[in-house]
Amino acid sequence: MEVKILSAKFDIKDAHKIKVAKEHGAYSTLDKVFAMKPEDVIELVKNSGLRGRGGAGFPAGVKWGFLPKGTGKPVYLAVNSDESEPATFKDRYILVKDPHSMIEGIIICSYAIGSHDTYIYIRGEYTTQVKALQAAIDEAYKEGYLGDKVAGHDFKLNVTVHRGAGAYVCGEETALLESVEGRKGQPRSKPPFPAVAGLYGCPTIINNVQTIASLPFIIANGADAYKAYGTEKSPGTHLFGISGHVEKPGMYELPLGLPLLEVIDKVAGGVWKGRKLKGIIPGGSSTPVLLPEEAKTVTLDYESMAEHKTMFGSGGIVVLDETVDMVHLVKNLIDFYHHESCGQCTPCREGLGWMLKIIKKILSGDGTMVDVDLLRELCDNIEMKTVCVLSAACTMPVRSYLDKFRHEFVAYVTKNDSSAAEAK
Amino acid sequence: MSDRSQLISTGTPFQFDKERDAEFERLVKRYPTRESMILPALWLTQEQEGWISQEAMAYIADRIGTYASKVYEAATFYTMYHLHPMGKNHICVCRTLSCWLRGKQEIVDYLKDEIGIKPGQISDDGKFSLEEVECLGHCGTAPVVQVNGEFHENMDVDKLKSLLATLK
Amino acid sequence: MADKINLFVNGVEVEVESGKNLIDAIGAVGIEIPHLCYHPALGADGNCRMCLVGIEDGRPPLVPACKTPAQAGMKVLLDAAHIKKIQHDVLEFELINHPTDCPVCDQAGECKLQDYYMSYDQVESRMTVPQVTKGKKMDFGAGVVHDQERCVVCGRCVRFCREITKTGELGIINRTDDTRVNIFPGRPLSNRYALNVVDLCPVGAMTSKDFRFKQRVWFMKKAPGVCHGCSKGCNITIDHNREKYKDDVIYRFRPLLNEQVNGYFMCDEGRLSYKAENDGRLSEARLSKQIRSIDDVLAACTKEIERAEKIAIVLSPNCSLEQLVTVKALAEKLGASLSGYSDGYFKKGDGDDYLIQDDKSANRAGLTLLGIDCSKDGFEKAVQEASLIINFNNDLTLSYQESELKKLCKETKIIAISSHDNLCTGMADMAIPVASYSEYAGSIINCDNILQRFVKAITKNDNLADICEIAVRLGSPLQSDEERFSELKQFISALGEFQPDKIPAAGLNLNDSEAANVTA
Repeated sequence: MEVKILSAKFDIKDAHKIKVAKEHGAYSTLDKVFAMKPEDVIELVKNSGLRGRGGAGFPAGVKWGFLPKGTGKPVYLAVNSDESEPATFKDRYILVKDPHSMIEGIIICSYAIGSHDTYIYIRGEYTTQVKALQAAIDEAYKEGYLGDKVAGHDFKLNVTVHRGAGAYVCGEETALLESVEGRKGQPRSKPPFPAVAGLYGCPTIINNVQTIASLPFIIANGADAYKAYGTEKSPGTHLFGISGHVEKPGMYELPLGLPLLEVIDKVAGGVWKGRKLKGIIPGGSSTPVLLPEEAKTVTLDYESMAEHKTMFGSGGIVVLDETVDMVHLVKNLIDFYHHESCGQCTPCREGLGWMLKIIKKILSGDGTMVDVDLLRELCDNIEMKTVCVLSAACTMPVRSYLDKFRHEFVAYVTKNDSSAAEAK
Repeated sequence: MSDRSQLISTGTPFQFDKERDAEFERLVKRYPTRESMILPALWLTQEQEGWISQEAMAYIADRIGTYASKVYEAATFYTMYHLHPMGKNHICVCRTLSCWLRGKQEIVDYLKDEIGIKPGQISDDGKFSLEEVECLGHCGTAPVVQVNGEFHENMDVDKLKSLLATLK
Repeated sequence: MADKINLFVNGVEVEVESGKNLIDAIGAVGIEIPHLCYHPALGADGNCRMCLVGIEDGRPPLVPACKTPAQAGMKVLLDAAHIKKIQHDVLEFELINHPTDCPVCDQAGECKLQDYYMSYDQVESRMTVPQVTKGKKMDFGAGVVHDQERCVVCGRCVRFCREITKTGELGIINRTDDTRVNIFPGRPLSNRYALNVVDLCPVGAMTSKDFRFKQRVWFMKKAPGVCHGCSKGCNITIDHNREKYKDDVIYRFRPLLNEQVNGYFMCDEGRLSYKAENDGRLSEARLSKQIRSIDDVLAACTKEIERAEKIAIVLSPNCSLEQLVTVKALAEKLGASLSGYSDGYFKKGDGDDYLIQDDKSANRAGLTLLGIDCSKDGFEKAVQEASLIINFNNDLTLSYQESELKKLCKETKIIAISSHDNLCTGMADMAIPVASYSEYAGSIINCDNILQRFVKAITKNDNLADICEIAVRLGSPLQSDEERFSELKQFISALGEFQPDKIPAAGLNLNDSEAANVTA
């Protein structure tokens, strides 16, 4: 089931070094790219159907097409290597094992959008990864793939690595821009959208590492070759991360569209220790949980996930076995989102803290049904009333646990509340 | 998260050493605004001193030419910046989702029993400090621990024992 | 005039100005959209989420009104049930960690949370878990006290210090519900407009040390006025109250919006100059340093005037235009010289590029307009030649040292007509107390040539006459307001368009009218 498109060079020794990478095709698309018109490159990427791999799944080529023409302002590319969504662990493989594919992708994208300055935003915790990335960038400069004349062509490109310092919210595109500009990672209101006014007020494209690293394959082999993988609306491959209660957790590159349960069993060895499956988080902690029964009809693509009222997200699959206490799990999640809230807007800042205190109260044994219902109501009160979707990233999954595992919450409060016996 | 507003004053003015000074000057050219240097400057300070003092923040503000309040904002917002001296070996245990599912609590409990510190504390001999952090992006090899910036994956109590023995 | 467009609010068509955001556009036709972080002087921030409104058939269907420009045909939903729920929910979030400080909070009575609670909430708290606690009674410098628990993190104070004063002392640190406003240690508020954050703060997170616990706002009466601290003439609201058995006292000045003059703000010195209206006043008339009744002293003055050979009249650059023409008429009648010498009212270099002016007098432009000589030589010559000086409220100790003044006036009798008790009144042979500017109505012209009219705000128990009335008692022929207004119209033809009580509150820009008669 596994494929090797993005991960083609991952098992090759020293493929992170430019000499070896080039032997295996790194930077070989550049002559072709520079011979094309930038708008044709955009068209090609549009035709490939490549969707953003950060979690939102927005078509990359379409996003590039939003850039206004003739503003006179420089265009910026920001590469999102924040990778802080719990259960997501894919981009760092690219940074460490095949950074040149990303650098090649940066060159392709920059040429297409007319940008000469790229900022790679990498989370602060990625220490080994940032060293590997900077080493690759230095090599690229030395060999003339970055700098004043990219690969000998009349195109200037500078790439700067900007380290974050411990904020999940900086994975949100406008918060990322704020961080590059030296401020707290507090998301901006949209409109204006970054394509119009992004970094330093200039047109900016923000793409995930994996999205950018997917570009060399598309240029080299064409849109159809990319669409040969995956489904019609969700083409291509993805670096899926499977973690939690499985026998073989790890990162696996798969085409989109495979059945979820089959992937868990055949690729990740199934639920560990012979235990029973209780639930699956399909695409990162922000995605609503799936019950085993529901998961039977789920395939790993954007459409199927949407039909099942969850999301493809970042492709971070977490398997939950029968021993998982869902109430504790929800506390773990709320704790995360509360800790990571930027604090800018009222519902998230005050609301997530309230939710955390309520679930702690429930876990401590002092909770009542009122608290369970309040927790459920707060999910609705907070969601979509905020500047960014971090609050929704908390409330959407929490709501799904409260709805699908309500009996577990009720069990914690039953002894305190005689009316709980009447609750569903 | 808790409140990070209490800054520590060393009582002496701060400045970059030669290496950090050169790096600052190299980096400042790569951004169109000097304010973009706030995060890189805070990192340079932490590399140099291991933590960021009140004087260092004032120095950064003046060197960049921005308000000290802006440096204060960034330093308190981003939790990887240490605002007080840490232990010689800083241990970060991931506490989120997959690591929680695969046994991070055993590691935290072991550290409490062995070294006697809870998350947020520094050992009496100053050798270790412990922090519980959010998802480190190594979920496939959970539980994961980061010590002095290095990742240690598939951790269990035994591996942790060996690791601690190697730390000075 | 901005273009007008039509849009719908709750299904009802209204006409609003295009180009404005929905809060301003719809607010101008009397419909309130609740908001905390938006302020017209600071722009929209979009963080409080109180101003979320529905847009029927809109994409997106829920928008922050502060960031949404009014567009023709827009269908704004305010009263819809789901919007009301959102307003209630956002308010609930603001209140869960808000301390119930109302009984000890200065803001009570003019607090947005209280007001919005009454309009959009009125439900008991559902908070059964401990609240977040933060710092209280924090001294931020410049007389500003901060309470982090009351703070709703709207960011107005931070934006004010960064965008208006460009001093950036305040910042919002930490994240999540630990977020709080603070100063960098050792760098407190130190700009001359810092107390404006007290007005800007929608809740009691920013309070003034000076006003703290002095008076409940619902007891105070508000009157519009014009600050006389410098020649800018910032518009103010005079908050005053007469407690039982006491006198009418001013508790604070607050800036009043005037787009032409001061915008939304004023400087701290001007703000605190209300104290000078309350304190240091001359309350009794004196004759040869003995307290006598005003009538007695006026009678003595009249006798002195009759027998004086030569009289020098000096007046204050703070006098209103009405007072200036009345005294000028008196000078003409008595054949007295008239001077407005007041160089000491300048603090050279003290002014800035925002509101504060070097000239600490309120109506120097009025003196200039009426052609009153302000030269030092003119004044000193007049004094030397005169046997009697009548001083209408000019504090000469600003322009002269005590010894110099005594030397200058050695041979001359002095009548000091003054609102405040100072060295001049102490030196005078006859002293007459008069009303200060908050106690009379008048007009003044500021440094930008804008004429502003203010009304009587304070009525003291001992309701003193103002300079006009005293000048009349001493013989000025301009006895009524109508006569004074007619006289002024000779110098300022722009006044011809108005009745005295109909001069626009925003002020009259004399630069605009071609017929403005400004003498050099």
